[in-house]
This record gives sequence, C-alpha cells and structure tokens, in this order.
Amino acid sequence: MIWRLAWRNLWRQRSRTLILMSAVTLSYAMVLAAMGVGDDSHFQMLDAAVEGAGGEVLVHGEGYWEARSGDILIDGAQTVGELVAAVDGVANVMPRVAIDGLLSTAVGNRPVQLLGIRPRAEVALRDVDADVVEGDRLDDTELRAPLLLGGPVAEELEVGPGDRVVLTATGADGELTRALFHVAGIVRSGRADLDEVLAYTTLEAAGDALGLDDQLVQFGVLVESGVEPETVQDRIREALPEGGAGLEVLTWREALPEMVGFIEIDDAFLYVYAVVIYLVVVFAIANTFLVSVLERVREFGLLNALGLRGGRLARLVLAETALMTALSMVLGLALALAIHGALARWGISVAAWGIEEIELAGVDLANMVMRSQIVVSKWVTASVLVAVATISSAIYPALRAARLAPAEAMRFYE
Amino acid sequence: MTTTPGGAPSAETVMDDAAQPIRVEGVTKVFRQGPLEVHALRGVDLVVDQGAFAALAGPSGCGKTTLLNLVGVLDTPTTGRVIVGGRDVSSLSRGEAADFRLAHVGFVFQAYNLVPVLIAYENAEFTLLLRNRDPAARRQIVEPLLERVGLGDMMDRKPHELSGGQQQRVAVVRALATQPSIVLADEPTANLDSAASDELIDLMLELNRELDTTFLFATHDRAVLDRTPWVIRMLDGRVVEDGASR
Repeated sequence: MIWRLAWRNLWRQRSRTLILMSAVTLSYAMVLAAMGVGDDSHFQMLDAAVEGAGGEVLVHGEGYWEARSGDILIDGAQTVGELVAAVDGVANVMPRVAIDGLLSTAVGNRPVQLLGIRPRAEVALRDVDADVVEGDRLDDTELRAPLLLGGPVAEELEVGPGDRVVLTATGADGELTRALFHVAGIVRSGRADLDEVLAYTTLEAAGDALGLDDQLVQFGVLVESGVEPETVQDRIREALPEGGAGLEVLTWREALPEMVGFIEIDDAFLYVYAVVIYLVVVFAIANTFLVSVLERVREFGLLNALGLRGGRLARLVLAETALMTALSMVLGLALALAIHGALARWGISVAAWGIEEIELAGVDLANMVMRSQIVVSKWVTASVLVAVATISSAIYPALRAARLAPAEAMRFYE
Repeated sequence: MTTTPGGAPSAETVMDDAAQPIRVEGVTKVFRQGPLEVHALRGVDLVVDQGAFAALAGPSGCGKTTLLNLVGVLDTPTTGRVIVGGRDVSSLSRGEAADFRLAHVGFVFQAYNLVPVLIAYENAEFTLLLRNRDPAARRQIVEPLLERVGLGDMMDRKPHELSGGQQQRVAVVRALATQPSIVLADEPTANLDSAASDELIDLMLELNRELDTTFLFATHDRAVLDRTPWVIRMLDGRVVEDGASR
C-alpha cells in the first residue's frame, strides 16, 4: 500500500517530479561519465608512465636512475638477468644498454639517447619495430651495428637506410669512444618526445660500442597480471646476491613519483568535484521534498487520523524518494553508458583541443585520446553513494511528516 | 443518559463501557501560542450512549472541533479524562493513538476527506487495508457499502471526479468499513448544498439505525440540527445544553 501510494504521489506533480528526476539523472550520469574518463586517462597515464620508465620494475646500478649516467653498470649481467627472470611473478625481462651520445654525419651532429635492446623482449612494453616506416626492422636486419633513427633525427642528419653514422660517447672505462653504426630504418612513433631523442640498436651492438663485458645498464621488468610491482620488487631484492647490494630495484611508482602524485591528486579532485556537484543536487531534492510534504500537511493529517502511524508516513515519503531515485538512476546509468560507449568508440583527442605539448614527469601526453573505461567497483561505489545521498535527502522531510500532530495538520488550511 | 438507536436520550443511567462508548470527564484544553493562552474547552463533562446519533452545536470557536478531536484521539486534553470504548485515551502515545483510532474510530471530515491519488473504492477500503484485511474480505465489506450509499457505479472514480456529496458518502463508507464503535464527523455537510446535505444526513441516520453505530458530529447547520434527535449545545468551551433538539 505504501509503495502504491508513493508511486501515485510521485506523479501528482508531474513536472516537478520530472525536473527532480532530470537533476538526479544528469548529475548521476555526469559523475559516472567523469569517472569513466578520469579512470581511462589514469590508465593511459599509467601505461605511458610504465613505458616511459621502461618497465613496472627497474633493476640498475645504484644511483643510475638519478644520475642517468651510462657508466653506472650492472656487473655480471647474465647472472642477474637469469635470477630476475626466475623470480615468481615476473612476466618479462628486458635487458638494456642506454648511451647518451652524439650522432655525427657529414652534414652535422645530433645528441641522442641510444638504447641497446632486444626488440622481441621489448614488444610487450613497446614494439619499436612496429614503428619502422622506412628500411628494415631491428629484428630483421642483417647489419652488424644497425641503428633505428627517429624521423626528425634522420631528417636533421640527412641520412636514410644504409647510411653510416658515428656515435661518440663515454665508454665503460670512462674514456671517450667512437663507434660506427649503419642506419637500418626510420622510426615514426607519433610521439615527438621519443622520435626526437631516442635511437635504437641491438643490445650486442651497444655493448660493443661501449666495450661492455657481461655488463648492462638496466633490466626492465614487466610483472604478471594481478601481481603488484611492489611484491615483485621485494622478491627480486631477495633473489639477488647479497640482497641486491650495489643494485637499485625500483618500481615505476618510485621511478616516477610526480606521475603517481598527479594521478592521486586528480583522483581526489574528481571525488571532490563529484561530492560538491551531488551535494547541490541533494539539497535541491531535500528542499523540494520538504515543500512537497508541507503542501500535503492536511493529507498526512488525514492519513494519520485514519490510523497510519507516523513511522509509516515517514516511510511513504522515503518510498517516494526511493522510487524517484531508482527511476532516475536507471536513466542516469543508461545515459552514462551511452556517453561511455561514445567516448570508448570515438574518444576525444587532446591534440584536437589545440594542445600540442603536454608532458608530465617526462611522459608526453599530447597524443593522448581521452576515452572512457568502467572500473566496476568504482561505479558500484558511486552508485551506492548517490542512492544513499539522494534517499537521505528525504529523511528530514520524512521526519517532518512523521511528527505532524493530526489535529494540527487537519487544521492546516482552515 | 442513554438513547435508543437514532432516538432521544432517556433518563436511564447506564454506566458500563459498552453502553457508553464516549465519556468525557472534566476536560479542559488550552492552546498556547507564545504568551497567548486560548481556553478552547473549560471543563466539559459528556456521556454519549451506544447507538446515539448526536450533534455538537454552537457558534464557531465554541469548542466543537476541539472536543471531537479529543474524543477521536487526535489530540490530548490539558486536564480531565476522555474515555472511549472503556479505555482512557487521554494520554496515549502517538503510535498508540493511531492504532486506537484505526481500531475504534471512524472519521468524516468537513473537507479534504479523501486521498486524492486513490479511487473511490481504494479510499473506502483504506482503513481495512491498514488493518491488513485480505483483498477478498475488503471487497466483501466495501462493495456492498458503496452500493448501499449509491456509489456502486462510481467505485473507480478519483475524488476530483466525484461531487462533494459523493465524496462525503465515500468517507462515510470508509468510516464504517471497520465497524468502529464510534463515527465522528466534523461539519460533514458544511460544503454541501441543501439537497446533498439532506441526503448525507438521511444516509447517516439510516446507517446509525441499521448498524447501531454511535454517531457524534459537529454542525451549526440549522436544518441538520432540526433532524438530529440529540443535540449537545456548546458555548465558550462549555456544554450549555445536553438534550434533544426538539
């Protein structure tokens, strides 16, 4: 009976109910949609951060990450690599040599960071060969000292596949060293921060150039799905000789704390934004329901006079709110899913807003396309909070209804 | 005093609860609004007998509605006792009062008597619904009563689709549906034209005789008082005359 009355009462003031429902529907949908976009951009930032850091866990010589100096090396690299690969939860190990040096041709010079990599090992993080637009892939070439150059670097040095370039860098012994490389291919990743700075060669060619002997600069590690990088970090430390003395094992979060901080702050702002938006809505609803109760004082008096207890009158008001909330949330969820679907399919390009350069913690975000991603637990939490907040907004009006003295209420309009 | 159903009070004094469903003893009611005190009732004693058809008469502000509210357990007296169906209802909690009204009292108010979103049938069965009677039982009680008051073909009409007199008849059916010991009506004919007013009083008198239900109502309608066998006159918060109007 309470629900039947509540349902009919809801439609007595059709336009008012529809306006209220619109407010709940739109605010709920906006909260969910903002959450979807926020989470997707965070995931993209996380992916970009892991890619920018070089893995979810990084193993390198102590002090390397801060100094980024090519002479801080991992000795006994083969053993260390095998120990790391054997750690439970490790999905992929990517050995690397990083050289800061100067590329020279007859036309000119260009500073680059040359990464010596095993292309197949890197595929799970970033498939460099997939970005080759001209010439051979690093994995396919038969050149002994192959080089993949970013498009802008190749243009500046006026070289193409088959041309020779000379790298000048500081060798493992601290002395200046020169090495000859042959351009195997040209890379265009679409990311200016990479294409203008990085060059790639094989791990062996980089080692030869620096005169390394069972030495590497870094192991990038990807962890298995569902395993926290921090857990693998601890296990790697335990697995390394002498607890990893002389080596540094960092998670990407430790390597890029600014990025982590930004995401946390962005997340917090999103919640604050959602709470503020929703508080406004809740107060509007509370006010409207209070007006609705005051308009029906005499009717509540009648119901109470007939024997409907105050508690059931309060339940009637709450039931009206619950029905309105349920309907609005169904519509709001449908709207949010539609927005999510559209964003997931088409996305919004950051570049389309005229933003050409946006970088965070060394990670380029200018090519980011804002999409939407549903984190079910967050959507459920937000939905429960919205439902509780909306229905709670009717508690005061419901109490007012419950506390009406029937004789007073019946006199209300006399 | 006692009356036969629909009849005038007799001199016979019967003290048992069943025979005297309404007893009011030394009741006062003071309304306070800030420093202002309004003495709505100033020591009222009243006994209404089983099956009576009695009217509270008097000018506006004389305390008729206040007294009805106390008897109907819609309000509590400042001092004195109100005994309905043998139970002192002067100090019931709000919840107990609601339950008591549902079990023992039927109401017909002056206006705004029906729930606007419910059809006539649903309004009539409302108190039975509150008493958790099953649908079949409700139908068995309500439909004959609605037929009896001439609304058999208007059961599915909303209140705004009924005339004032028809709405009051639905309210009478609702008041009687639970077979209460008393039916209280506050100016039930105030918003009706004379024909509808006559019809309503006819109906209440008939039901009073048929069901032996005690009716106590407030009115200042001279035509209604002329047809009422027992008139209790009030003035300035006191009962000044308790007897037959004719």
